[in-house]
Amino acid sequence: MTLYHCIALSGIVFSIGIYGVLTRRNILGILMSIELMFNAANIALVAFNHYLHPGSLWGQGFVLFVIAVAAAEAVVGLSLVLAIYRNIKSVYTENMNLLHG
Amino acid sequence: MSPSLSSLVFYAFSAMLVVTAVGVVTLRNVFYSAVSLVAALTIVAGLFVLLGADFLGAAQVLVYVGGILIIMLFVIMLSQQPRDLLQRQTNDQWIAGLFFALTIGVSLVRAFTYFVSQTPPDGDIAPTSASLGRLLLGEMLLPFEAVSLILLAALVGAVVFGQEKNA
Repeated sequence: MTLYHCIALSGIVFSIGIYGVLTRRNILGILMSIELMFNAANIALVAFNHYLHPGSLWGQGFVLFVIAVAAAEAVVGLSLVLAIYRNIKSVYTENMNLLHG
Repeated sequence: MSPSLSSLVFYAFSAMLVVTAVGVVTLRNVFYSAVSLVAALTIVAGLFVLLGADFLGAAQVLVYVGGILIIMLFVIMLSQQPRDLLQRQTNDQWIAGLFFALTIGVSLVRAFTYFVSQTPPDGDIAPTSASLGRLLLGEMLLPFEAVSLILLAALVGAVVFGQEKNA
């Protein structure tokens, strides 16, 4: 278990999230893949903090901010999804082609 | 924890995390992929604890698993229709998407070979809650207050977008 293993795991999970964002039709699936990518970045931040700067906590503080912003993003994003769903009765991205529905 | 035991736990967590992450992006039923995301985020909390970030592990379970994922499950249950289970959930570009994701993943993994020999630091892992709180209310005070503003804006935005239009 070296730093390289943690960063490699983070890269693998990040690329899985990218695959989900690019291929999912369902907007909720895209949001979940974005959460996966946030978590990959968090693993990298905590691993760098643990291995390269064991005495300081700046990486962990940064992860706290990432979690808070992800919470705000999820709340606004999900309420937007519900508002769109009320208008067009669909959660698939190819149907969301109107700016003013 | 001895180094070999923590390595064993790390590899077990890594395998489970990759499997559940693949489940999140490939499962046909969105509800199942949300449950798979719950498992993945809980495993990430375990990885945080393994890497010496005990407070972050707790915050991850509280905020992500207990908060964000529950909202997500609610929205999925409110917006899914029975015929969604019969439709394919990927678009026509999945080969290009797979190629793109593989390219980024392989380059990320290759780019960090510089850190191959970086071993864990000596010394026991200490609790971080107290020093993290001092950091947040000391040197990180300005971003801390900015995050409270962001959360307030998100609250107001959710209320605005969520209310019915009386048109």
